[in-house]
Amino acid sequence: MAKIIKVAPATHTPSVANPFRTSRNSTTNPFKYSNFEGNTLQFADVFEGFEPKKVNKLKMIASSVAGSMNKIKSSITEPIAQFVGRVRSGISSAWDYAKNTNISDIGAVKAINNIMNTPIEIPAISAIGNSISGMKEKIASGIGSIGHNILGLGDDINQRWSMVVSRFNSDKISSDMSVSELEGLWKAEIAACEAGGNI
Amino acid sequence: MNRNIVEIIDALTAHQDSDSIRVLEELGTNSPDNDVREYTSRALVKKNVHDSLKVVIINQGKGINDLSPSVAMSTINEILALKDKGEVIRILDDTINMHSDETVKENARSVKSLLALS
Repeated sequence: MAKIIKVAPATHTPSVANPFRTSRNSTTNPFKYSNFEGNTLQFADVFEGFEPKKVNKLKMIASSVAGSMNKIKSSITEPIAQFVGRVRSGISSAWDYAKNTNISDIGAVKAINNIMNTPIEIPAISAIGNSISGMKEKIASGIGSIGHNILGLGDDINQRWSMVVSRFNSDKISSDMSVSELEGLWKAEIAACEAGGNI
Repeated sequence: MNRNIVEIIDALTAHQDSDSIRVLEELGTNSPDNDVREYTSRALVKKNVHDSLKVVIINQGKGINDLSPSVAMSTINEILALKDKGEVIRILDDTINMHSDETVKENARSVKSLLALS
């Protein structure tokens, strides 16, 4: 016990004597000063190798860009200079073709000219004309039959109307009828009204 | 109102047979339809004979004594519109003097007063 009291002031400097100091730079081993039955741990800096290293983000971005460029480069099978040259030659050849070619010599224009100059002769059109003329005759005959039917219907209506008017005139209520007849008609009207729900 | 019934009433009104009054009274003045009763009462007044005028003056619930004001007033107007009022005045006087029902006598008295004022 006396040994401990004697040793302690000499070995514990103020910077390391405080076990509650929370500064990160003071130590890397949280168990360094723990006293396990009077023995200090021998492997003081056992966690020192696991300290996370600071990463340079700019360096990471640069490396990713470089990787992408290498990937693009590997995917291009044709050198860019050769590609540009090929496009330029294609344009120039198209220009030469347009400049030196007559428009009437183009295949599509030739086909259009042929269609425009050829008279249209479709057999179906004449067939349609024949069908229309036949339809016209059918319609005319149909209208004629309808006219006959309407005339007949008109005569029938006229005859029936004349019958109704003559019957109405013969049955017209007047003082020429006897009182008994008028009484019978009145009773019949009352009965009809009562049957119809209207008095 | 049914047009046929109107024509029948008109025909009975113009009919000279006295039996037409009986038909008008039985079928017309006893009708449940106010329009029929009104038209029939006016037709009986238009006939302007003793039997027809008696129907609309002395009978309880008919003509001037009808429970419907429109029927009673139409009948009174038709009486007031008569050119020859002699028969009506005689019947009204007999009703006022001899009828047993006081209401009928009062109505007859009122109509006579209206005839005197007209």
